[in-house]
Amino acid sequence: MVENKELIKVVEETVSRDDVKYVIGYKRGTYGFQIKPAFAYSAEDAKEFFYSPLCSKNLATYPLLEEKLPLRRGEEAEHKKIGIVVKGCDSRAIIQIIQEKGLEKEDVVLIGIPCKGVIDPKKIAKRFPKQSKFVDVEENNNDEYILEIGGTSHKIPKDELLSDVCKSCEYPNPPLYDILIGEAEEEFQPEHFNRVDELEEKTIEKRWEYWEKHFQNCIRCYACREACPLCYCKTCMADLLEPQWIRRSVNLSENTAWNVMRAFHLAGRCISCGECERSCPVNIPLMELNKFVEKEVKEMFDYTAGLDTEEKPFLGSFRPDDPEDFIS
Amino acid sequence: MEQLTLPKEKLPELLGEIGSKFELIGPKEENGFLAFRKINDPKEVNLDILLSRVPPKSLIFQQTETLFTYAKGKDSKIQTPKIDESVRVIFGIRPCDARGYDIIDPVFMGKKEGDYTDPFYTKKRNRSILIGLSCNEPDTNCFCTSFDDSPANSKHVDILFTDIGGTYFVEIVTEKGEDLIKNLSKIFSKATEKEGTIRKETEKTAIKAISRKMNTEGAVEKLNKMFEHEFWIEAARSCIGCGICTYLCPTCHCFDMQDESTLKLGGRVRVWDSCMYEEYTHHASGHNPRPSRMNRVRNRVYHKFNYFPKNDGIFGCTGCGRCIDYCPVNIDIIEVIDKVKEVNV
Repeated sequence: MVENKELIKVVEETVSRDDVKYVIGYKRGTYGFQIKPAFAYSAEDAKEFFYSPLCSKNLATYPLLEEKLPLRRGEEAEHKKIGIVVKGCDSRAIIQIIQEKGLEKEDVVLIGIPCKGVIDPKKIAKRFPKQSKFVDVEENNNDEYILEIGGTSHKIPKDELLSDVCKSCEYPNPPLYDILIGEAEEEFQPEHFNRVDELEEKTIEKRWEYWEKHFQNCIRCYACREACPLCYCKTCMADLLEPQWIRRSVNLSENTAWNVMRAFHLAGRCISCGECERSCPVNIPLMELNKFVEKEVKEMFDYTAGLDTEEKPFLGSFRPDDPEDFIS
Repeated sequence: MEQLTLPKEKLPELLGEIGSKFELIGPKEENGFLAFRKINDPKEVNLDILLSRVPPKSLIFQQTETLFTYAKGKDSKIQTPKIDESVRVIFGIRPCDARGYDIIDPVFMGKKEGDYTDPFYTKKRNRSILIGLSCNEPDTNCFCTSFDDSPANSKHVDILFTDIGGTYFVEIVTEKGEDLIKNLSKIFSKATEKEGTIRKETEKTAIKAISRKMNTEGAVEKLNKMFEHEFWIEAARSCIGCGICTYLCPTCHCFDMQDESTLKLGGRVRVWDSCMYEEYTHHASGHNPRPSRMNRVRNRVYHKFNYFPKNDGIFGCTGCGRCIDYCPVNIDIIEVIDKVKEVNV
């Protein structure tokens, strides 16, 4: 359990440090079960920070969204750290980025949160529709979520609202952090991400039918890319015109190319935060692609992304002793 | 305006008849959300979900429109696709989405005689007969009433259906609507005065159910004075730069032109574009007049709440609430406008 008082105190202390520019965390959203990314530039700003099982958003995407304005003559770049509130998967995203040299450890101060899993915003909004005021959710020790709406208290079994990716999470505690809020969660036995098995059991034709049904709805808003902490290329291949890998026409063929290429580009890099799937406005089950690739990478090369900053990235490493059972 | 009624159980019969005579488009559930699709069987129509995920602007201002195609070589000829001009009925469109068409019509169809009209948009718009459906149960982020609109406004459709419990109250609004009804068998009855009263009460109840309100009073003038204000840096800080708010907006209408070719064939396509993308204003020179997210978020707000009112005398927002519903970081346009009004300039 994360005590908000303790979180605010830590954020206040962090943002007051001379070497910290600002701290990113969560604040309450404008309606329903929405949360907002919050940016604290002063101890005062830290007061609105909070943490609850609603805080699904992976904030690791923000340090790389920093816009560095061109410097005037004689001006020097400011080398200050960004503080970020991170759950297990968010911390792994930062590790992965550091591994790839997108960031340096010195660039960030990680405020770790031992995570008990987050609520799927789509599931809870469906269960309790039409909430025009913010509703917070707490978790008790009996694997239940507790929320109060219009004076009535509701107790919901955790399993019904928990994000699918969290059910199969192996790393609820941040593997990398500077400050940890509360006590580390006990390691629990994760469930298998069975949505991938269900797909694998289908015939090729059925599988294609399934993806066709989803990809034809893709509107190519690129929310999956923008929400993803690991999609941080300065110029995405989807935006290139010369050569043009993917046409701008929105149709099944190009949409498939986009979604499959994105999944490939995340091979051995995706840390399973589920942000792409959560952001997708047309309900494409993107984590099924990512989890499938993750499984392949694990089975063939015994590699897990985002665990150690010193490790070499998956596609930049060669280990003569990896399983390689697929080579006959 | 002719006022009729139709028992609810007769709706499939009506849709079946429309579908047999014309192309019928309607709201259909697909992968857990609503989409406007061709209706082959009246059973496919879903009227339980309020709004389609992608607004029906996509039926007229298509996400991908092929403007012309060509073949390479000696006999190469440019071919323009023939645009279907036969009548098409769009059933179940909500008043706010229909209003979206009215807002972007001047962009593609011109404001006065002699203005350029885009043939693709114009022909699709003209061939469409809109049968609207009033919203009896507005959703969390509906705020159409903030723009003097109503969840049962008949002004933007040709025919409006309002569910008055067991029966649809049917208002024939335009000549186009009248012509359509004339073409159909006589399954409608004349509405009684009592039914008219129930319809009005239903509208009142729906209006009351709208809990969110955007206070637009003075917003245009305030925005005139705060273009350079640091408020915009704050407002855009959490924006991740995806295109959801613009692609799901019934009034966003920006597009990009692309030439797409293979070795032998090619074509020019018009595809949706979004001012939320860095690439949107990226010049060939390398310069970008909107280099940061602050510039881009500011542009979206200004276009809807300053440029649109100044150019066309109307806000570029229908209050459908989609941008609020689907923003991954809860950038809430109602809150943005509220905060604009609080800014000291």
